[in-house]
Amino acid sequence: MNDEKSEAGELGRMKLNKHWGYLFLILIIFIIPVFIKSEYYLHILILSVINIILTCSLRAIAVTGQVSIGHAGFKCIGAYTSTLIAMRLGFSPYLSMLIGGLAALMVAGIIAYPITRVRTVYFSMLTMFLGIVVTLVTSEWRSLTGGTTGIINIPSFGTTTVFGIGIDFNNKLPNLYLALILMVVVLIFLYSLDRSYIGMTLKAISQDESLAASIGINVARSKAIIFCMGCFIAGLAGGFYAHYWGILNPDSFGLFHSIYLLIYMIVGGTDRFIGAVIGAFVLTLLPEVSRVFQEYQPLVFVAVLYLVVFLLPKGMIDLPHQMRFLLRMVYQDRVKRNA
Amino acid sequence: MLETKNLTKNFKGVQAVNHLNLIVNSGEIVGLIGPNGAGKTTVFNLITGYLRPTEGKVILNGKDITGQKPHVIAMKGIIRTFQLDRIFHNFNVIQNIEIASYLYAGIGLCEAIWNTSGYRNKYHETSQSAEKILKFVGLEDKRDEMARHLSHGHQKLLGIAIALAAKPKVLLLDEPLGGMNSSEVEKTLGIIGEIRKQGTAILLVEHNMQAVMKICDRIVVLNFGMEIARGLPEEIQKNQEVIQAYLGTKRLLPSIT
Amino acid sequence: METVWQGIFNGLVMGWIYILVALGLTIVFSIMRIVQFAHGEIYMLGAYCTYWFSVVFGLNVFVALFFSAIVMSLVGIILEKFLFSRFRGQIDGSIIVAIGLILLLQTIAAIGFGTQDKWIPTTIPGSLNIWNIKIPWERALSVITGIILVFILFLFIRGTKMGQAMIATSQDIEAATLQGIDVNRVSMMSMAIGCALAAIAGGLMGAIFGVQPVMGSYAMEKGIAVIILGGLGSIWGAVIGGLLLGLIDGLVPLGSNTTVASIIGFTIIVLILIIKPQGFLGHE
Repeated sequence: MNDEKSEAGELGRMKLNKHWGYLFLILIIFIIPVFIKSEYYLHILILSVINIILTCSLRAIAVTGQVSIGHAGFKCIGAYTSTLIAMRLGFSPYLSMLIGGLAALMVAGIIAYPITRVRTVYFSMLTMFLGIVVTLVTSEWRSLTGGTTGIINIPSFGTTTVFGIGIDFNNKLPNLYLALILMVVVLIFLYSLDRSYIGMTLKAISQDESLAASIGINVARSKAIIFCMGCFIAGLAGGFYAHYWGILNPDSFGLFHSIYLLIYMIVGGTDRFIGAVIGAFVLTLLPEVSRVFQEYQPLVFVAVLYLVVFLLPKGMIDLPHQMRFLLRMVYQDRVKRNA
Repeated sequence: MLETKNLTKNFKGVQAVNHLNLIVNSGEIVGLIGPNGAGKTTVFNLITGYLRPTEGKVILNGKDITGQKPHVIAMKGIIRTFQLDRIFHNFNVIQNIEIASYLYAGIGLCEAIWNTSGYRNKYHETSQSAEKILKFVGLEDKRDEMARHLSHGHQKLLGIAIALAAKPKVLLLDEPLGGMNSSEVEKTLGIIGEIRKQGTAILLVEHNMQAVMKICDRIVVLNFGMEIARGLPEEIQKNQEVIQAYLGTKRLLPSIT
Repeated sequence: METVWQGIFNGLVMGWIYILVALGLTIVFSIMRIVQFAHGEIYMLGAYCTYWFSVVFGLNVFVALFFSAIVMSLVGIILEKFLFSRFRGQIDGSIIVAIGLILLLQTIAAIGFGTQDKWIPTTIPGSLNIWNIKIPWERALSVITGIILVFILFLFIRGTKMGQAMIATSQDIEAATLQGIDVNRVSMMSMAIGCALAAIAGGLMGAIFGVQPVMGSYAMEKGIAVIILGGLGSIWGAVIGGLLLGLIDGLVPLGSNTTVASIIGFTIIVLILIIKPQGFLGHE
């Protein structure tokens, strides 16, 4: 444990070459899609990018010790608001996406203060029922949302020209790039928050609320703000999803979507920021790569979940550490035998 | 400095604290003692806003601060420690202290995210003052250790360091010596003495009578939420009612040298 | 007026089934400190088990229910021993285990039994007529079964040593351990009871609405709603919460439909959680 360096201590001395490292990583991420020709895989990648955004925003909330089981509900609010504004008022999808995020933010803002006051398990229950209510309302409010049949022909991001190159967002690749840009912006934002002093105060809150209050941290306000932020991002992701996919129906935002996001986060590992990213990415791809198993395919997912929860209690990010531990054991064993 | 007037708290008909009047001036250590369950920690909770008094007032520098939220009261300079080892277990020692400078760091959300130069300066200052406090409580060699791996005595010290980092005008210490060995007690008493010298008002709850008698300027004795005696340490030691109160709970007043 | 009575009666039927599901959830929660999200799958398996015993072996429905309760309580004990016992009090781990279980059991059920509805035959055909309301016997019996089971559970918890141990464990695990209570056994017992109740609830529901592999999540949502309404860990709270939610689900559809009933029910829950998180009968 001693090798856990002071996160914030490093911050002040953050070197420039570290930034270059990140930039390089981003560059690689942006180059890879060019080589993917399959429309299907591009689609899966887009979905996984959306899931990464959602999972990271969920983690941002969870850092304060509040585990939301209704995050997909805010995605739903964002998606429907964005769709309706774009379709009925004729707004540009970019703008409507933002408005979708703001709508999710507004709903979160209305309930933020009362719900951040309640204890952890009740917070989870509350967000869970909130998510269920949101999907039920969308499936019932037929005049607005089209009920369970949903909405089709949602306008895509259309065509634009950047640097003289025409981009048609009816193809998958430009959508993937747009998703990646959104993801990079969101991740940089959340990562900076996570590493900063304010991020530390959020972690302090999750460890001991009374102690945090005793040194002057406004616990309720901090929790409310981060909850609103997380929900805004979820709304934004929802808006993007709607305009990308072109079809909406309430089923895709149900309770299990929320629970899956939670699983991505936990299986990835909650101790470090990158855990949510890895968890969301791997677990979104997993069902697709395990398609060969046909109807037994969910069992592959289950197997991975149980492997992680029993062998890597700290999540997938702990894998290198555990491997090293294992290797060392094997090595020492051999040394002993030789001696 | 800090004053309570007729401070009263009822828990479902039980009077946990009964019309308590306290005054703590700057540079003074006031001991608050009494048998277990006398309501000492409740007094702390009332002063620092964790509980709302049924009756009475808490006054800081002539201003009424009764019933305000804990973080608001902390902002006004009243900082408390907790009886149990309440520290941030998943932070290392220096992080614990840095985070406690929250009020004085004055770091805003946006500047923290943008990593502005203003933020870096403020953060640098915070780290500097945290290092100073670390040295002050003598935990330099534990700087990068996870708080949960510290020994009990060190955790207690870290608790005090956290409170200090919030730059208290009034410091409420809840059993800071509990579970410490004698050399740690000596060291901690030295630290408390130093804090007092800087002009901080200190209200001390402690069971280690020897230490209380040695360090406190004045002592208030509580029993069943009621004040039964107040005065200089020497007077308290001779007070029959106090001795009775301790005998009544089968806890002998330790012999005082 | 008759439709209103009919609605109330339907609500009671639903309510008692919700109560049976909720009781299992609340017992498991108060002893193991986890929300067992896979409880609905136990309910689903219980329904299939009842179907299996009654159709394939041709047993009387009540005997089938009894056997399915026993089978599922054994399943519960196994699950507790090998899966949940390691995650007592851990929200993270227990959620993953439960979700894994949901996927696992749903997949098994879908592969093993197929996705189309299965119907548990009714032994007592015909219906009861009270004040001009037609009450099918199978539904009336599910109310009666529910009441009897709650009564037995109450007697068990109040009257037996194991029941007392369960109360002690739910209040303070450490203190219970110090008193020499075997927390592992109590945990297993709580899972066994919870699963047995869920199995019976599933069987009763399966006789009314049929059995499908995905029937569990609805029951789980309702069950959690009930224990929130009544306060986590309270038996009588679960009974009152269940009846209330059942009445909403029975009466609101008269004016509109079941989705609106769910919306109203869940919105009430959200409001209760905001105003008084302990539930209106909670004692925490």
